[in-house]
Amino acid sequence: MNPDRVAAIVNRRVSLEELREALEGPIGEDERAEILRLVQWFTRRYPSSEERLAYARQAYARWSRKRRGD
Amino acid sequence: MEPSAFDEIAFFTAVSASNVRALVIGRRALVLLGLPVLTADYDFWIAIDDIEALNVVAARFDLHPTHSPAEARGRGRYVLENDEHVDVLVARSLTTVDGRAVEFERLWQRRHAVRLDDVDIQLPSIEDLILTKQVASRPKDLEDIRLLRALKEPLA
Repeated sequence: MNPDRVAAIVNRRVSLEELREALEGPIGEDERAEILRLVQWFTRRYPSSEERLAYARQAYARWSRKRRGD
Repeated sequence: MEPSAFDEIAFFTAVSASNVRALVIGRRALVLLGLPVLTADYDFWIAIDDIEALNVVAARFDLHPTHSPAEARGRGRYVLENDEHVDVLVARSLTTVDGRAVEFERLWQRRHAVRLDDVDIQLPSIEDLILTKQVASRPKDLEDIRLLRALKEPLA
């Protein structure tokens, strides 16, 4: 897919219905528990703000390398 | 892109020490709150009167503004950049996709601090972060809204 098409998909403005669903739609217990487990893992492994920011920076670099096929 | 030599902790610390009224928004705010999401950019929302002061701090990190302060005030936003990209909102107020006003001053009053190194950096409340996500309202913003809701709303 060409980059312009990808950007159009990624940056499209969602509909009001989609927004309403995100704001008001129920979050299932499984989904919520999974998110909270992820948060627990992340905050336990990276307890300080400095460590969390460093993780984000490294994670983006890893993702970029992978996308480039390095 | 590989991480550059940009010292983000020093940058955040310098912004905080400068007394610029700056809120960290966007996905870095989610990361600071404990959500491991992928992000490339830095996003700030600052008081419209503090552009010059932020630019002074940014210059120490070789970050260059894409617009003059006057232009930025007119546009409501600008970017500080080198091989890093810092989006800076400067509008007094933004509008969500469903027409609600989101005012910087109100977010600033309801902000909370997160300790970073030896300084406090300022984040909107979770509720207000959710509001900022409703301005651009892209698919990834909806994902972030659900993550923030899960963080905010306790387990039943």
